[in-house]
Amino acid sequence: MIVLHMDMNAFFASVEQRCNPALRGKPIAVIGSSKRTVVTTASYEARKFGVKTGMNKWEAKKKCPSLIFVIGDNRKYIDTSVRVLNILKDFSPKVEAYSIDEAFVDITGTDLLFGPPEEVARRIKERIREDTGLTCSIGIAPNKLLAKLASDMKKPDGLVIIREEDVSKLLNDLPVGELWGIGPRLTEHLSGLNVRTCGQLAAFPASVLRERFGIIGERLKLMGQGIYDSPIVPIGEEEAAKSVGHSTTLPKDIADKEVLKRYLLKLSEMVGARSRAHGLKGRKVSLTIRYGDFFTFTRQKGLEQPTNDTRVIYSLATDILGSIRLRSAVRLVGVTISDIAGGCRQLPLFEGERKRERLVNAVDLVNRHFGDFTLTWAALFEDDDPGPGVISPAWRPEGVKRVNVR
Amino acid sequence: MSTVLKEPIKVIAVFDNGVKPVKFKWKGRVYPVKEITYAWTSKEGDSRIMHFSVSDGAALYEITYDSSALKWSLEGVQA
Ligand SMILES: [Mg+2]
Repeated sequence: MIVLHMDMNAFFASVEQRCNPALRGKPIAVIGSSKRTVVTTASYEARKFGVKTGMNKWEAKKKCPSLIFVIGDNRKYIDTSVRVLNILKDFSPKVEAYSIDEAFVDITGTDLLFGPPEEVARRIKERIREDTGLTCSIGIAPNKLLAKLASDMKKPDGLVIIREEDVSKLLNDLPVGELWGIGPRLTEHLSGLNVRTCGQLAAFPASVLRERFGIIGERLKLMGQGIYDSPIVPIGEEEAAKSVGHSTTLPKDIADKEVLKRYLLKLSEMVGARSRAHGLKGRKVSLTIRYGDFFTFTRQKGLEQPTNDTRVIYSLATDILGSIRLRSAVRLVGVTISDIAGGCRQLPLFEGERKRERLVNAVDLVNRHFGDFTLTWAALFEDDDPGPGVISPAWRPEGVKRVNVR
Repeated sequence: MSTVLKEPIKVIAVFDNGVKPVKFKWKGRVYPVKEITYAWTSKEGDSRIMHFSVSDGAALYEITYDSSALKWSLEGVQA
């Protein structure tokens, strides 16, 4: 297998620098709204000063006094992301949209059409640059893990190829934390076992890893050896959704439950509309809360009958909110339905339910024609529109995936 | 955009393998489009909205074209 991983460089910031020539070559940081204070993406010029994603405005400004803040516009990024994916699909039918600015492409056997892997990568970069003016880093390797590692090795505008025969030499002294999926906490746990490099991980007894980390233990050892067999899942062939959810970062941290409820209604409607569009119903509704200090937790409630009705989702989400004693102001809220029952065209038994289902269908139909939230629930109009915020890079442009807005 | 306007404007554009605004008239003044710095589309219901970030050499403007309603709008300006 030959896997190509493409990662757009400083994506949101680079798009803004294309839009506004006055921002090119300057340190800029994209933020979600004028009230939001967290950096979503920093340009390379800003990164040189130490400005990073997730930093708050003041911290960032301290690192880089000449930093320019730009309020992001999701529509630009979504459209650009879709255009880039379409370019990739010209090279292979197997394109997995991993996030808004990253994709995996299976280029096994494409050499007859496009030449060797480096030629494919060169052409992809050229097409993306022609169409959007943007650069990307590309990594090519025998599997997704190594392709991702390769694209991370040279930024911006990189092209790195890892060949089978170079793998063990490359990984031997590489810190485990550099591997995709091994985060700071896992790194810390491993270092407790005196495992710091991939070479050490590869040589570590599988039995100890299994005992310590459960089923992922063996997988970790294989990762240390650069072995990774997870396939590329082309757009449209993702597994049936196990949950449908939406979350949003609030324009500012909010402690007032009544205000939070308005966001819950909007999110419930987004979840309801999306699950109805895909004919999905869930038996569980969960509410995710993140405090200002990033502490995040989820509580859920079950239902007798699976639902995709906005009002039912909303009422469960508010029940959960009512049962929580908030210890501080909330930064993010999310609503998800899970325990999905497929094929839910079951006829409602009672006339009242049937009426509701017809109403809900009519609302969805109108919204599909005139834009989301054209027709919606009255409480949403009590105040000004909460606004979309800036989506996280984990957002995917297609399919019924769980959408997480960080 | 630092100033949000959303005002109707008159536009001269070339429709040939895509749309390219050439100049626009806003409040009685004509602004030449010297550069289209970025273009993207969005959807509002069934309507496809084309967005253009354009420069007249002095300032940056975002103008949109609603391809169903056939209407141009000046969304905002950045001095
Ligand atoms: Mg990126």
